[in-house]
Amino acid sequence: MSYEYIVFSIVLIPIVGAFILPIIGRISHRLRNLLALGFVAASFMLSLYLIPPALAGKVITLARQFPLGLNFVLTADSLAVFMACVSSLLSAIIILYSFGYISHYENQNEYYFMVVLFLGAMMGLVFSGNLILLYVFWEITAITSWRLIGFFREKSYVLKADKAFLVTVFGALAMLIGFISIYQQAGSFDLAVIKESLKTNPVANFAVVLILFGIFSKSATLPFHTWLPDAGVAPSPVTALLHAAILVKIGLYVFARLFLASFTFAEFWHVVVPLVAVISAIVSAGAALIETDLKRIIAYSTVSQIGFIFFGLAIGNGLAIVGGLLYILMHGIAKAGLFLCAGIIEQNTKTKDITKLGGLITTMPITAVSFLFCAFSVMGIPPFGGFFSKYMVFAGAVNSGHLVITALFLVAAFMTILYLFRLFNLIFLGAARIPAKEASPIMVLSVAILGALSLVGGILIWYPSKFVQVVVTQMGRM
Amino acid sequence: MQDKIILLPIIIPLFFGLMVFTVPKGFRAAKETLAFLATFLNLLIAIALFKSNISFSLPWAGLGLEFSLRLYNFSAFIILSIATFGFLIALYSIVFMRDKPSLKQFYAYFLITLSLASGVVLADNLVIMLFFWEGLLLTLFGMIYIGKKEAFKTATKAFIIVGIADLCLMVGIALTGHLSGTLAISQINLPLDALGSIAFILLMIGAISKAGSMPFHSWIPDAAIDAPLPFMALIPAAFEKLLGIYFLTRISMDMFRLTAGSWVSVLLMSIGAITIILAVMMALIQKDYKKLLSYHAISQVGYMILGIGTALPVGIIGGLFHMINNALYKSCLFLTGGSVEKSTGTANLEQLGGIGVKMPVTFACFIITAVSISGVPPFNGFFSKELVYDAALERGLIFYLAAVVGSFFTAASFLKLGHAAFLGKLSEKNKSVKEVSFAMLLPMIIIALLCVIFGVFNSLPIGLIQPILGKERLAGHNYSGFPSNAWLVIITIIVLLGALLNHIWGVKNKGSGLKAVDHIHYAPVLSVIYDRAEKRFFDPYEIGVKIAHGFSRIGFLFDRGIDWIYDNLTVKLTFAFTDQIKKLHNGNYSTYLIWSLAGLVLIIIFLI
Repeated sequence: MSYEYIVFSIVLIPIVGAFILPIIGRISHRLRNLLALGFVAASFMLSLYLIPPALAGKVITLARQFPLGLNFVLTADSLAVFMACVSSLLSAIIILYSFGYISHYENQNEYYFMVVLFLGAMMGLVFSGNLILLYVFWEITAITSWRLIGFFREKSYVLKADKAFLVTVFGALAMLIGFISIYQQAGSFDLAVIKESLKTNPVANFAVVLILFGIFSKSATLPFHTWLPDAGVAPSPVTALLHAAILVKIGLYVFARLFLASFTFAEFWHVVVPLVAVISAIVSAGAALIETDLKRIIAYSTVSQIGFIFFGLAIGNGLAIVGGLLYILMHGIAKAGLFLCAGIIEQNTKTKDITKLGGLITTMPITAVSFLFCAFSVMGIPPFGGFFSKYMVFAGAVNSGHLVITALFLVAAFMTILYLFRLFNLIFLGAARIPAKEASPIMVLSVAILGALSLVGGILIWYPSKFVQVVVTQMGRM
Repeated sequence: MQDKIILLPIIIPLFFGLMVFTVPKGFRAAKETLAFLATFLNLLIAIALFKSNISFSLPWAGLGLEFSLRLYNFSAFIILSIATFGFLIALYSIVFMRDKPSLKQFYAYFLITLSLASGVVLADNLVIMLFFWEGLLLTLFGMIYIGKKEAFKTATKAFIIVGIADLCLMVGIALTGHLSGTLAISQINLPLDALGSIAFILLMIGAISKAGSMPFHSWIPDAAIDAPLPFMALIPAAFEKLLGIYFLTRISMDMFRLTAGSWVSVLLMSIGAITIILAVMMALIQKDYKKLLSYHAISQVGYMILGIGTALPVGIIGGLFHMINNALYKSCLFLTGGSVEKSTGTANLEQLGGIGVKMPVTFACFIITAVSISGVPPFNGFFSKELVYDAALERGLIFYLAAVVGSFFTAASFLKLGHAAFLGKLSEKNKSVKEVSFAMLLPMIIIALLCVIFGVFNSLPIGLIQPILGKERLAGHNYSGFPSNAWLVIITIIVLLGALLNHIWGVKNKGSGLKAVDHIHYAPVLSVIYDRAEKRFFDPYEIGVKIAHGFSRIGFLFDRGIDWIYDNLTVKLTFAFTDQIKKLHNGNYSTYLIWSLAGLVLIIIFLI
C-alpha cells in the first residue's frame, strides 16, 4: 500500500468506523467496544508506520481537485505524523479505560460514536493541507465535544456544553475570517501554495489576531479559558480526551502548523503570544491552588501548562520549539493519566471535592502511584518526561533573550509544584475519609500504562527528542 | 571499553535498589543483604577509581545534552566520601531499621539516592547533573514519607522547598549554557558580569538549598522528628552537604571567576554568616536530641559557605575541609542519637540523662564528635574552622565575629546536650538501658576515629583537597599542619573556655544540664523572638506558602471575573439587545409597512 493511502486510511477508518459503531452496538456491546478500540488503534498503528518516511524528511501528499477551485489535500509531514501518533496513542488508551468507566451508563452507542468520530476529525485536522478542510474538521471536533461534554444530560451540564461550544465556535468563526484574509494575501487556501507565496513577507497582523482568537479559544488560553474547567462535568475519559489528546492540543497544533511550519508573523508576536501565555499560566495556576473540585483543579492545571507550550512554540527559538512539541507529548501523557485517575477517584468515592477525600493511597496504591508519576512529569521532575520538555522550553527562552518572561514562567512553575502537591496530599495522604477500593483492572491498567509512559518517556528521551528535532528542522526553524 | 567503569558507581546502587523493590514481603534478610552488598561493592569501586582520571560520553537527548561523565581528583574525592558514608550508614541501618515498617522502600530509596548522588558528582554536563540532582527530590520525598504516619507533611515541605530551588537551578543552567555556549562543565569559564551574576546566583540557590543553608533550611528540623534516623545521618548530615558544597565550589572556582571583593562574594559570605548565627541560636534551645543536631546541620553549612564565599584559597580549603569534617562528625552524632533512641525509646532530652555509664561506647563517640564540632584542638573541626576564621578575618571583621560567636554557641549547646543526655541523674525508666549492638557501634567508632585522624594528621585530607584548587591558586602555600596565626587560636580557646564557664554557671544557677542555657533562652528580648520562632513565625516556607496563597486568591478572583463576563454579562447583554429587537416586532401592520418602505428606499438609493 502506498503511503498516500495510508494517510487517507488514518483519517477514513475512524470517521467511517464511527458511523458503524451504533449499528454494531445494537448487536453486541462487546464487539462494538472492541471495534472502537480497533479503529483508533488502527489509526495509531498506521501513524507509527509513517514514522520512517517522516524521519527521512519525506512529505506525503494526497491531493484531489474539486470544482470551484476547491481541493482536498492531505499532507503528512513529520509534524503531522508526530501529532497523529500522540493523539491516537492517547485516544486508544482512553478508549481502553472507557470499557470500564462507561460500562454502567446509558447511551453507550452515542458515546463510542462520538469519541471515535472525535478522533477521526482530529486526524483529519492534523493531516489537512488546506485551510478550509482544516476548518471543517475543526468544527466537527467542536460538535462532537459539545455532545460529549453534555453526555450526562443534566440541565446545568448541557449549559456548560453550550458554553464550550459557543466560545470555541465564535473563536473558529473569527479564525475563518482570518483564513479568508490570508486567501486575499496569498491567493489560495492550499497551505503549500500559501507557504510559497508568503515566503518573504510575514502574514498580515489582522489575520494573525483573528487566527489567534480561534487558537486561544480552542486551546483554552486566558481570557477564553473558562469553558475548560466547566467542561469537567463530562465523563472523565472525555475530559482526558479534551485535555490531553485532542481538543486543547488542536489550537497548539494549528499554531505550529500555521505560524511555524507554513508562514511567519511579525517579530513582536514572539513577545505578545508568550506574554498572553504567561498571564494565562499564572492566573490559572493560582485558581488551581484555590479550587477544591478535583477535576476543575486538573483543568486549570491544563490551562497553565498550555501556557508553557505556547511559550515554547512562540518564543522563536529552535530549542524552545523542540521543548514545546515534546511538552505536547509529555503533558498529553501525564494529563490523560491525571484525569483517568480522577475518574477512578470520582467513581469510587462519589465525590469530586478534595477536602472530603484523603488517605486513598492505602486502598488504591496503583492509582496513587500512577497519579504521582504523572504529577511528577507535569512538575518537570527527572527522570520523568516532563523534565526534558520543561528544561528545553526554558533553555530556548533564555537563548532568545527573553529573561523577564522566563522569570514569570518560573513563578508559574513554582506554583505547579504547589498545586499538584496540594492535590495529591489531600486526595491520597492523611487520614482516610471515604473508604474506596481500587477500580476495575482495565481502568487501573490504563492509568498504570500512562504512569509508566511518563517515566519511560523521560528515560528513553532520545527517541522522541530525535523525532522532534527532525520536525523542527523540517520547519526550517533550527 | 575501559571508560565504562565510571558508570559503575551509578549503575550498581541503582540496580540493587531496583532489585530491593522486587523482593517479596517477609524476606527481610534479603533486603538487608542487598543493601549491604550494594554499598560494599560501591565502596570497593570508589576505592579502585580513586586517583584515576576518566572522561566518558554518550549521545543523549541531542541539542548539546550529552551523557558525559568525568572523574578527576575532586569528583573522585567526593565519590569516595559518598561511598564510605553509604556503606557505614547501611551497616548501621541494618540493625537500627530492623523492626521498622517500610523496610523495602527504605533500602530501595537509600540505594537509589546513592546512585543519583554519584551521578551528580560524576556528571560533566550541566543538564545531566540537573537530571540526577533533581532526581534526588524523589528519594528525599520517599525517605521522609516512610518515617511515620503524618511525615508526609514534612516530606511535602522538603520537596517543595528543594523543588523550587531546583527550578531556579534549572533556569540558571539554561542561562549558563546560553552565556558560555556549552553545557560541558569542564569547559565553562564565565566572568561575573551582569548576566553572569544572575546565572551564578540561580546556580548558587540550587547549591546552597541542597546544602541546607538558610533560607532553604526549615524542613530539616521537621525531618529530624519525622524521618527515619539513618536518613538524617545519610542525607542532611552527609550527602546534601557533600553535593551542595561540591557544586558551590565548582561554580565559584571553575565555572565562574568569583573574585574576592565582588558583591556576589559578599552575598555568599553574608548568607554563610547569617546561617551560622541564626541556626545555632535555634539549636541552643532545643529539647530534642535529633532536632538539636538538625539545627547544627544547618549552622555548620554556614561555615562552609562563608569559607568558599571569601574566594580566598585558604577559605575554600577551609570550606571543603569543613565539609568533609562536618559530614563525619554530624553523621556520627546522628548515629549516637539513633543509638540513644534505640536503647531508651526516646530522643527527648527531658526523659534522658545519666545514660553515659550504661552506654559507654556511644558516649565516647559522642564526646569525640562533639568536641570536633565545637572546634576543640586537636580534633578535625578545629583545623577547618581555623582556616575559615583566617579567611573570614581577611575579608571583614564582622564575618569573623559571626563565625566565632557561632562557635561559642555551638560549644554551649553541645555541653548542654551531652550533659542532659549522658550525665546527670539516671531516671528510673532508663535503669535497664543497654549499649547497642556491635554492628551499630562499628560505624560510629570508625567515624569518630576518622575525626581524630583528620585532626591530628590533617595533612592527609588537606593533601587531597589542595590539588583540587590547582597549583596556580595555591601559589606554593601549604595549609596543613597547625594554624599559622597564633592569635586566632588563642581567641578560639578563650571562646571555648567561655562556653564552658557559661555552662558551669548555667548549671549552677538552674541545677540541671538541660537548663544550662535558660539564661540565654529567657533573656529579655530573646525570649520573645524565640517564642515566635518556635511557633514558626519566621519559617520562610510558611511565609512563602502564605504569599503564594494570597497571590493565588487574586488570580482566582480574576479568573472568576472573566467567567462572570461569559456567564452573566454576555447573557444579559444578549437578552437586552434581543429585547430591543423584539419590540420592533409588535405585530402592528403600519410598523411593518414603514419597515418595508424604508428598506425599499435604501435599495433604490444603493442602486442609483
